[in-house]
Amino acid sequence: MKYKDYYAVLGVPREANEDDIKKAYRKLARKYHPDVSKETDAEEKFKEVGEAYETLKDPEKRAAYDQLGRHSAGEEFRPPPDWQQSFGGAQFSFDDIDLADLFGGMAGRQGTRGRTGPIPGADYEAGVRLTFEQAYAGAEIELDLMAVEYDEQGMARRVPHRMKVRIPSGVTDGQKLRVPGKGGKGLRGGRDGDLYLDIAVESHPLYRADGLDLHMDLPVAPWEAVLGTNVQMPTPAGTVSLKVPPGTRAGQKLRLAGRGFKRADGTAGHLYANVQIVVPTVVDDRQRELFRELAGASSFNPRAQFEQETR
Amino acid sequence: MSIETVEAIYLEHSEQLTLVELAERSGLSEYELRELIECGVFAPVDAATWTFESRSVVVARTAYRLREEFALDDTHALAVVLRLFQRIEALQAELRVTRARR
Repeated sequence: MKYKDYYAVLGVPREANEDDIKKAYRKLARKYHPDVSKETDAEEKFKEVGEAYETLKDPEKRAAYDQLGRHSAGEEFRPPPDWQQSFGGAQFSFDDIDLADLFGGMAGRQGTRGRTGPIPGADYEAGVRLTFEQAYAGAEIELDLMAVEYDEQGMARRVPHRMKVRIPSGVTDGQKLRVPGKGGKGLRGGRDGDLYLDIAVESHPLYRADGLDLHMDLPVAPWEAVLGTNVQMPTPAGTVSLKVPPGTRAGQKLRLAGRGFKRADGTAGHLYANVQIVVPTVVDDRQRELFRELAGASSFNPRAQFEQETR
Repeated sequence: MSIETVEAIYLEHSEQLTLVELAERSGLSEYELRELIECGVFAPVDAATWTFESRSVVVARTAYRLREEFALDDTHALAVVLRLFQRIEALQAELRVTRARR
């Protein structure tokens, strides 16, 4: 097991009191907490700091940690022979765990010691990243979790957990899903915990999701906007023919009902095509001539509102 | 070895919870939950039976996480942090919508 110097991580002397430890931790939490920090390695730093505080804030764990002796950070070590009897209780294999598990295991024992009734399993949380297509159609993903489980004596062990999770169709970015009963195992008849999934959906080059609705840009040429046209619109469920009516303005939204995200219960969002009028940047002589002719023939004033408002 | 396949479900399709279950699943005490409810961080769906929608677990777990991670020991301060947190989440959601509809 590799030694970690928790005091150094928090930047406090070994004889620091509980109050100093809390103060030092709070300061570092404000600096490195991923919700507030802009530092690049904030998450990693915060994990280190959190692990150190988790042990040092608890007098029993701190005493146990102090008994491990002084080593330099990163040094391979084993707890002294009598350590296990004093703090570890029953058998504990030191080979497959690290320092955090060791003290995490103590928390489990403290929590369960003296309790005889059922103890519910812990809830787990995991992040899941989906492509747009997976979110639209639903997907089966493989999830690898490292679960810390406690046996009947409250001893901790690390158990790798692999499962396939079926994600329903129509999940959106930022959504949470629940997998009942797939958290930590309950003890003595306690219910098993749940697994919560934090869903992140990758952005798509064409579609932008807004809940179950989808938005996309629909570029049309000026003459298509004036005369109207039929366009072949890509939608997540396949290409459809969309009628752009004559006189369509830029910024107008054309709605394709029920063409957004769909859920198994039948709820569906719409797909909105946001009209953009785009002009060719390269025109040949004939086209330029035609535009000039149009300009001469048209009395259309696109800035009529300017005159009204400034009169 | 065959791998078990499980179903993920929408939170709104999950069952409602009692205050005791909410405490059990979030790590907060019933007392702390009552205080957060008083501060308006979340509310029971049914005020008579004190039952909560399963989305409340997410809020309560966030509360627990923030309390632990920032070492906050004042529930009122925690409630303020949560309200601000919820405002950030709402603004982020609005930003997503605005970007989508641009």
